[in-house]
Amino acid sequence: MESSIFAADRRKRKRAYTIMLIIGGLVILSFIISMNTGHIRLSPLDVFKTLFGMGVDNQPLILFEFRLPRIVISILIGSGLAVSGAILQGISRNALADPGILGINAGAGLMVMLFVSFYPVTSNAPIFLLPIMALFGAGFAALLIFMLSYKKNEGISPTRLVLSGIGVAAGISAAMIVLTLRLDPEKYQFVATWMAGSIWGTNWKFVVALLPWIVILLPLVFYKARVLNVLNLGEQTSIGLGTPIKKEQIWLLAAAVGLAGSSVSVSGGIGFVGLIAPHLARRLVGPRHELMLPTSALLGSLLVIAGDTIGRTILQPSEIPVGIVVAVIGAPYFLYLLARSRA
Amino acid sequence: MSRLYTEGLSIGYVDRLIVEDLNLSIPQGKITALVGANGSGKSTILKTMARIMKPRNGTVFLDGKSIHSQSTKDIAKELAILPQNPVAPDGLTVFELISYGRFPHQKGFGSLTKEDKKYIEWALQVTGMIDFYDRPVDQLSGGQRQRAWIAMALAQGTDMLFLDEPTTYLDMAHQLEVLKLLEHLNEEEKRTIVMVVHDLNHATRFAQHMVAIKTGRVVCEGSPAEVMTSEVLREVFGIEADIIPDPRTGVPLCLPYELAGKERKPAKPTAKADEAIAAEQVEVKEEVLV
Repeated sequence: MESSIFAADRRKRKRAYTIMLIIGGLVILSFIISMNTGHIRLSPLDVFKTLFGMGVDNQPLILFEFRLPRIVISILIGSGLAVSGAILQGISRNALADPGILGINAGAGLMVMLFVSFYPVTSNAPIFLLPIMALFGAGFAALLIFMLSYKKNEGISPTRLVLSGIGVAAGISAAMIVLTLRLDPEKYQFVATWMAGSIWGTNWKFVVALLPWIVILLPLVFYKARVLNVLNLGEQTSIGLGTPIKKEQIWLLAAAVGLAGSSVSVSGGIGFVGLIAPHLARRLVGPRHELMLPTSALLGSLLVIAGDTIGRTILQPSEIPVGIVVAVIGAPYFLYLLARSRA
Repeated sequence: MSRLYTEGLSIGYVDRLIVEDLNLSIPQGKITALVGANGSGKSTILKTMARIMKPRNGTVFLDGKSIHSQSTKDIAKELAILPQNPVAPDGLTVFELISYGRFPHQKGFGSLTKEDKKYIEWALQVTGMIDFYDRPVDQLSGGQRQRAWIAMALAQGTDMLFLDEPTTYLDMAHQLEVLKLLEHLNEEEKRTIVMVVHDLNHATRFAQHMVAIKTGRVVCEGSPAEVMTSEVLREVFGIEADIIPDPRTGVPLCLPYELAGKERKPAKPTAKADEAIAAEQVEVKEEVLV
């Protein structure tokens, strides 16, 4: 009997790892397709040659200066947003929580807008400041929402969290619209594209600004997978199991803000990734966070790369912001979730 | 000898004290039942003794040290608590839930140790959930679900087990199923069990120690025979009841037949008395909501 229970669990884990490998493979596949597509077509052979330093004409420029940083950024923000959403869903025990719905994106957006209105878009503005500004905005929004939804002795109520999140997001969006009216046309254009969710920071500077946040926070969050498991059982049970919940909730919330805020500073308001990726992951590998978090990260990356590649190709030569592509996929899924949760 | 006791404990929500100056000691190796009317504070006392709630004043002592100043993870190795109506995330299987019970013994990454597996398997077996290990918790019957949660608390491997109304919302067979399990754990595994129960006849049959609570005070405490008397029931629940011995086991059973105190009401209730009654009712309602 002993072996059969634990063997069944081992099989389940193995299956989850296989699923992660398959998604990882799809990410690589999208990577290759994304490298090939764009205004100037490069064949897989050209890409391969260029990667090994044998590119001709402007091939190295296109690949290394335009496409590669953009793809790397897609991978980073996809995983950042997805894991941020997974954390928020875990600590709020609300399947509809995600950084977009909770006003964290909007908070970051407001700060990015303020930043842009002070620095010309085209000049060599201190790019590395952008994620920090965005984080500041996201943190402010998160703090506000946290304070509105936190009650002594009860902790964070899932319903209050979502309601106050929606309220704060609406307020910030309104403030942003007021600010947009004061911008000159060039900046307005930039902000409008940003709000639609477009990977606009397509050079290595942005990769460098974003990378540390993702590379440091993701492993730290994965390390907390078991805490998220326990928090998912509810406040009282988690204390009973020995979790200092206030400390862990604040820590994890801060990590979620850090991941979402830094991602959004480069990607603009991509919604839905933080909602869908954890959901799909839970469907595929179950609710245990040690399996679910890495799967969400991979799915998030896949969604953003695929969305960006589709957005760049279907209406060539003009581009559709990735946020819109993801929303077109995401909105029906969201409605499907709502219909299902009522049943 | 008691490992867990309180001294001068006062507990309150926001601006209202629910429990004042409580001195209560949990007898080691016994099943203790906390009984009392809705809103009497029994659940609050249970939660505070298991450090889920913080007291206003006073101290809960576990092995001579204040429970609220010790590391919560260390306490989780000594004492497990099952809250009222816990909810498992969608799709979580019985095995996964029970494995979460090993949380206080685990660190960061890493898979289940031999010790973890031993406890998980034992918890599955002792609760009779072994055949359901791969089922999602949300698809189980009420009794099975409660047993799965008890199994999780057992996997914690603690000497003390606290349960907040473990039989509420279960039908009679499922109630017995859960209580029999607790009895078994107490007799065979020598666990100290503290539970809040509503059914007094369950309390007298399964508990060796009873604590009757009214408005946050201990009215009477002792063996079921000492606590289950007409006077105590009148005082604590406001009911008139006959106490008869159980024909099989001899423990006292209660047969309630009337609400107490009807005659004691003033013949012509004054406006003031009405107000007082209304205020009290509001208060009780609030507590239920809290």
